[in-house]
Amino acid sequence: MTLTAPSIDAAEDVAQAKPRIRVWRWVTGTVFTLFAIQFAHFLVTNERFEWPVVWEYLFDKSIMEGIRTTLTLWLVVIVLGTVAGVCVALAKLSSYAPSRWLATAYVSVFVAIPPLVQLIFWFNLAYLQPEISIRIPFGPVFHSWPTNVVISTWTAAVLALAIVESAYMSEIIRGGILGVDAGQTEASKAVGFGSGVTFFKIIVPQALRIILPAWGTRLVTVLKATSLVSIVALTDLLRSVQEIYNVTYQTIPLLLVACFWYLVMVTVLTTVRNQLERRFSRGHDVGGPARTGRVRTARRQANRVAVDG
Amino acid sequence: MSVNGVSHEKQEPVLRVARVRKNYGSFTALDGVSLDVESGEVVAVIGPSGSGKSTLVRCIDQLVGIDGGAIYLDGELLGYERRRGTLRPMKNARIAAQRRRMGMVFQNFNLFPHLTVRENITEVLRRSHGVSKPDADRRALEVLDRVGIGEKADHYPRRLSGGQQQRVAIARAVAPSPRIMLFDEPTSSLDPALVSEVLTVMQDLAEAGHTMVVVTHEIRFAHDVADRCVFMRQGRIVEEGPAKRMLTGPATDELRDFLSHVGSL
Ligand SMILES: Nc1ncnc2c1ncn2[C@@H]1O[C@H](COP(=O)(O)OP(=O)(O)OP(=O)(O)O)[C@@H](O)[C@H]1O
Ligand SMILES: [Mg+2]
Repeated sequence: MTLTAPSIDAAEDVAQAKPRIRVWRWVTGTVFTLFAIQFAHFLVTNERFEWPVVWEYLFDKSIMEGIRTTLTLWLVVIVLGTVAGVCVALAKLSSYAPSRWLATAYVSVFVAIPPLVQLIFWFNLAYLQPEISIRIPFGPVFHSWPTNVVISTWTAAVLALAIVESAYMSEIIRGGILGVDAGQTEASKAVGFGSGVTFFKIIVPQALRIILPAWGTRLVTVLKATSLVSIVALTDLLRSVQEIYNVTYQTIPLLLVACFWYLVMVTVLTTVRNQLERRFSRGHDVGGPARTGRVRTARRQANRVAVDG
Repeated sequence: MSVNGVSHEKQEPVLRVARVRKNYGSFTALDGVSLDVESGEVVAVIGPSGSGKSTLVRCIDQLVGIDGGAIYLDGELLGYERRRGTLRPMKNARIAAQRRRMGMVFQNFNLFPHLTVRENITEVLRRSHGVSKPDADRRALEVLDRVGIGEKADHYPRRLSGGQQQRVAIARAVAPSPRIMLFDEPTSSLDPALVSEVLTVMQDLAEAGHTMVVVTHEIRFAHDVADRCVFMRQGRIVEEGPAKRMLTGPATDELRDFLSHVGSL
């Protein structure tokens, strides 16, 4: 028996087909383009943007100082927030019930109260407790300091933001630890690893992969949240532009300066975060020589949407 | 039952499980299980789902605590110690030290995915057994060759097939030369085509004289490789004896019934 290919009408060979005509894409494309042109025109011709002023202040010394304050604050809050977050997460995962209760209460309280309220609260702590001292509860006092000295504007800002951050971080970290397959802990015990090795060498490296995307999102969130401190007169980036436009009334151009720098910082952070994530997915891509497969990219994006949303 | 070795008529068993009870809440998973395993012996544990087979090996490896009875490895009580006449649970570090004398193979392999195949073994040798890096590397390659995975030493476990992963898990368990190897259904999560490569490796270990307790649904393997067979049902050992005799001519109705369900040899 011979195989003969059935004949087809040459005009119906799909190899000849032209692309489908997508009317709506043309329509929306045109509309978008018109809007874009309109917007660009608005940006360029509207005198009130005062682009020369933007340029004049973009690298101004006081702005640079503001950026430095913002970044320092950000770094301190991230470090403290992460360290405290790990502690709270471990407390919440502990087999010792009182530590679980305490951690749960801590997270519920500090996630519920708006950061701005907490900030103002810490700033006004001196009113509530004029002195801060080291002492045995209801016992002798070893040393004490006036609250206004200990809780400066700076410490109030750091405390407020770091506490809020530790509450969020602890949930992220706890989720990461719980996300590691229980079989890993069992296998780690079974091969005779102690609890330290099990935690740091087996659980943490695997939990990091789960934690990192969400943690990276917090890096960006905290950077933006630092702008809250301008309200307690800490001269961060936002405050530094405010101090200028309060005098010169060039509000819009100076806000544009702040926007520009926030955009730059967030872009850099996002890039760093993506690099970190790539590094920590070691051993988790199945098959194939390509280490940056579409599946992984898709998963990472899904992750990010889940976290950001 | 002298622990001090006064009686000489019989060699001390490597493993002694004595009247062990285990409850999960109000449910009794192990109801007075006793089992001695002699050096070099291969014991197959069979029984229907939920009969407590996994619970038994997990109790032996101290992965779950027991509620009654006692377990001894080479005559040493596992998990508990007597201090001034009072029996108390050991510190975790001492339990870890006891676990190092046993090798465990899980149904789901449980290799460490962030470590390469080689590191899965060398980390265990170095961190749990104080083996130097060059010695650990040499030993890892030796056991990997023995299970036929030598050339995959630097792959990550997820890149291997299930059968290969399980062979690595066996290599990891056997590398420190444990006193006893425990297997919990090592082939149950494998594609049928991959089962035999793992059973072959286990048979090699058995023939090399390793002491093994193997929970399995592979009746053929139990018949051919095990010296002794233990049949469990509802947390109890119902029948026990030489594997070949027991699996060809079961003495109890329960075992006969079970064997007719899982299929004949
Ligand atoms: N962590 C647990 N909590 C509560 N009950 C449990 C737990 N682990 C096991 N059990 C129960 O104990 C009984 C024995 O379980 P086990 O896993 O030892 O059975 P098995 O003989 O290994 O079964 P299988 O062949 O399905 O693996 C089962 O009824 C199971 O539901
Ligand atoms: Mg089981």
